[in-house]
Amino acid sequence: MSLKFSCDDKATLVAYLYNEVDAADRQRVEDHLRECLACEIEVGALSGVRSGLTQWAPPDAELGFAIIQKSVRKPAQNREPVQEPALTSASWWNTVPVWAQAVAAVLVLAVSAAIANVQIKSGPDGLVVSTGWMTPASATTAVAPVTAPAAGDQQWRTALIALEQQFREEIRTTRETGVVRAASRSGVDDATLTRVQALLAASETKQQRELALRMTQLAGDINVQRRADLLRVEQAIGHTGVEMARQGERLNYVIRAAGVPRQ
Amino acid sequence: MVATDEELVARSMAGDAESFNQLVLRWERPIYALAYRVIGRDEDARDVAQETFLRAFRALPGFKGQAKFSSWLYRIALNLCRDWIRRKKRTPVVEMPEDMDIIEMAADHGPVESIEDLVARNEMSRMVAEGMKLLPEEQRTAIVLKEYHGLTFQEIADLQGCPLSTVKTRLYQGLSVLRKYLESQGVTSFVSGQAS
Repeated sequence: MSLKFSCDDKATLVAYLYNEVDAADRQRVEDHLRECLACEIEVGALSGVRSGLTQWAPPDAELGFAIIQKSVRKPAQNREPVQEPALTSASWWNTVPVWAQAVAAVLVLAVSAAIANVQIKSGPDGLVVSTGWMTPASATTAVAPVTAPAAGDQQWRTALIALEQQFREEIRTTRETGVVRAASRSGVDDATLTRVQALLAASETKQQRELALRMTQLAGDINVQRRADLLRVEQAIGHTGVEMARQGERLNYVIRAAGVPRQ
Repeated sequence: MVATDEELVARSMAGDAESFNQLVLRWERPIYALAYRVIGRDEDARDVAQETFLRAFRALPGFKGQAKFSSWLYRIALNLCRDWIRRKKRTPVVEMPEDMDIIEMAADHGPVESIEDLVARNEMSRMVAEGMKLLPEEQRTAIVLKEYHGLTFQEIADLQGCPLSTVKTRLYQGLSVLRKYLESQGVTSFVSGQAS
């Protein structure tokens, strides 16, 4: 290793630039920079480029990735579930609790029914379902009249029981084969809640700053406008004064020309 | 007490997916930022980041801990970025966020920074992004890893699979190209040596 730093030793120069150089090399570079203007300018310029690089930031993207494991049923001889990883981006609906999703679904249904003016009536003709705003209640059109004769009560009960059993079976099957999300839900919810709170706090701060900024801008604009108005008024006053002086001179001239002594 | 990466990795390897999700939470932004700066597209950077964690989760049983977990993630992400660049057969296109709003930026950075400063900073950011597009992938990646992720020369050499001296050369050449580009754009205050 030579004792003096050479201008061509760019590797050491870069190491010096990033402060990843030992004390001896640092001293060599600094001694050289005191003597070599070209290298001094280069180090300054590359440091400037590094400063410029700090200005480049990626978008403030909301990511929220999370591993969600699915259970997949193996063939009949081995019924233990196997783990199938899936990475999801935590969309907003993933962060909403299940009960809230259910309430939202019921609300949507209720609102839809209200908009469509759905009416369900039970009468001697059985169940009558009608929709639409324009049709008077007295003249409802039976969309799908379902007649349930009194003698058929037993049949209805049997059918309902069968339907209930079918639903229960389907729910049980879904639980066995479905995505195992509920188990990890509580842990995720805590983390999510913390993040949501942090996001809300950040949003609030941001809004306050934005408001402050806009107010500052508004105050600045008003100030500029006020100054411009004052300037205009001053100019107008000045102009009026000049005009009055000119009028006075004209009057004097007329008086002189008419030979009337001025009072 | 916050668990270290190594502790979370150990728990993840024992089957605790939530521990892995903590690692994801900890590293998703650096990995996304790395991908964004290397390939320059928001949506594709998200995809790369997502795929990075999925691959890491799948490959976790094979992670022996010779390297830091973060270095391992960086390696996966950089391989995916390289695949993306090869697949697209094009240089990265750095796009500025569509909804970039000066007022919003001002709100983000507090009322102390003037609009003029913000505009200047936004302009500098755009020019740096444009300048980075000019660099070959190896130089760009070296600069990104050094400037934005604070890796040592040796860590970058390990990730890029090249000698230490090559990393320094890539950094020097990359910075020099950026310097010339910024000077050609009339940015003299930054590169005239006053800034540090």
